Amino acid sequence: MFGLLVNAIVAGLLLGGFYAAVSVGLALSFGMLDIANLAHPAFIILGSFIVYTLNIDFGVDPVVAGVLALPFFYVLGSAIYQIYYYSFERRGEEALRGLAFFFGILFITEVALILIFGVDYRFVTAPYIGPSLYIGNAELPLRMLVPFMVSIVMVGLLQLFLSKTFIGRAILAVSQDDLALKLMSIRPQRIKNIAFAISIATASLAGACLIIIQPVEPSIGRDYIGRVFAIVVLGGMGSFPGMLTAAMLIGVMESLTATFYGPSWSPAVAFGFLLLTLAIRPAGLMGR
Amino acid sequence: MEVRAGETVALLGTNGNGKSTLMKCIMGMLRPQSGRIVATIEGETHDLTHLTTEEIVDRGVALVPEGRRLFPKLTVEENLFLGAFRSTARAALQRNLDYCYEIFPRLRERRSQLAGSMSGGEQQMLALARALMSAPKILLIDEPSVGLAPVLVQRTIDKIREMKEQNQLTVLMAEQNFTQAIRIADCGYVIVHGKIAFDGKSPEELNNNELIRKFYLGL
Repeated sequence: MFGLLVNAIVAGLLLGGFYAAVSVGLALSFGMLDIANLAHPAFIILGSFIVYTLNIDFGVDPVVAGVLALPFFYVLGSAIYQIYYYSFERRGEEALRGLAFFFGILFITEVALILIFGVDYRFVTAPYIGPSLYIGNAELPLRMLVPFMVSIVMVGLLQLFLSKTFIGRAILAVSQDDLALKLMSIRPQRIKNIAFAISIATASLAGACLIIIQPVEPSIGRDYIGRVFAIVVLGGMGSFPGMLTAAMLIGVMESLTATFYGPSWSPAVAFGFLLLTLAIRPAGLMGR
Repeated sequence: MEVRAGETVALLGTNGNGKSTLMKCIMGMLRPQSGRIVATIEGETHDLTHLTTEEIVDRGVALVPEGRRLFPKLTVEENLFLGAFRSTARAALQRNLDYCYEIFPRLRERRSQLAGSMSGGEQQMLALARALMSAPKILLIDEPSVGLAPVLVQRTIDKIREMKEQNQLTVLMAEQNFTQAIRIADCGYVIVHGKIAFDGKSPEELNNNELIRKFYLGL
C-alpha cells in the first residue's frame, strides 16, 4: 500500500512536469497576452510529428529534434501573431473572432496532419524509452523522467528570461497598459509578437516530450485542451511558478486517482480541485 | 509657446481647457490639427510633430501621464526597470535606480510590493521615479497633485523641484493647484479654451495677473 502510494506520487510528479511543458506556452499566450490560443495543443501535435519525422527518417534524438525545430516554430508563431493582430486585435475584435480563428487553426492543423501522416499512432525510438531508474521502491521510467527534465529546464529558462531581461519584463507588463508601455519607448505589438512566437516555440519541445511519453495520432491534442487551460487558470494568470505548481498538483491528483479509484475519475477530480481553488482564491494559486 | 532649457514652466488652467491635450500632442499620442512641435535636445533639433510616442520618448522626452498609468500588477522595482527600457537609459540603470531610491526612500522600502496596492501618494512618487528612469532631458508632468492630500501635494511639488535641479531637467508641468505650481515655476502659461490667455514671465507676474485673480482664483 505504501509502496503504491509513493509510486503514484512519483509518477504524478513526473506527469506534472510534462503537463508544465504542455502548459507553459499557454501560460505565456493566454496568461500574459490575453490571447486564448485554443490551437496550442495542435501545435504540440505538429511538434510531435516533426520530431517523429526527424527521428524516423534521419535518426535524430527526439529531444535534439525538438530543439532543432524551435526556430521554425518561433517563425510560425510570429507569422500567426501578425495575422491575428492585423485581422482582429488591431480592431479590438479579438474576443470572439480570435477564438474562432484559433479554433480554425486547430482543425486545419489536425486535418493537414491526418492527410500527411494518416490516423495511425506514431512513436519514436530513443535509448531512454523503455528502461527505468529505481530509487528505493519508487520506479522512475526514463521516458517520463527525460520529458520532466526537459520541461523543468525550459520553464526555468523562460522564467529567467521574463524576470531578468528588458523584453521579458515588458512581456509581464504588456497586457496591463499599452499607453504606459509606449511612454517607456516600448512598442506593445513588437513585445506581443516576440512573446507569442516564444509561446508557439515551446510547442516544439512539448511535442517532443509528448511523443517520448506516448504514441501520437493527429487528433490527440484535443485531450489536452481542457487540461492545459485548467492548469494555467489554476496556477494563476501570468505566473510561471503558479503554473508549475498547478501542473504538479494536477499530475499527482490524476495519478493518485488513477491508482486508487480508476483512471476514468482523474479528470473529474482534477477539475473539481480547480473549481474549489477558484472558489476560495479567484486569482488562482499564485496569480497576482 | 516656448519652454526654455533648464526652466520649470507651469501650464495653468482649469478642467477642460486643453492642458492634457497639449501634453498628449507633444508626446505624439494625439496629432495636432495645425502647428509644429519642435524640441532641441543636446544641441540637436527634432521635429516631434510626426514622430510616434515611442520615438519621442527615445529622444529624451518623458511624460508622467494623467492618472499615473503604472503597471498595477508589477512590483515597484519592475515598474522602475521598465522605465529604463530605452538604450540610453539602460546604460545608466543602476545609477538612476539608486538615485530614485535615494530621493524616494519609501519606494526602496516597497520595492517588491505591487504598484497597484500602494497609496495615491506613493503611486505618484513611483510615476515620477519611473519617468526619471528613462533618463529624460525634458520632463512633462500632467497634474501631479490630482487625488493627493494637501500635505502630499506640497511634498510632491518639492520633489519635482529637487529632481529637476539635480538632473538638469527642463520641466513642463500642467497643474490646477496654482499656489503650489508657482512655488517652483520660473514662468507659466494660462490656457483658456485651448488658447494661451496669458504668458507670465515670472511667478510674480502670474500672481498679480488680473485674469488669474478673476477667473482662476476667484478673488
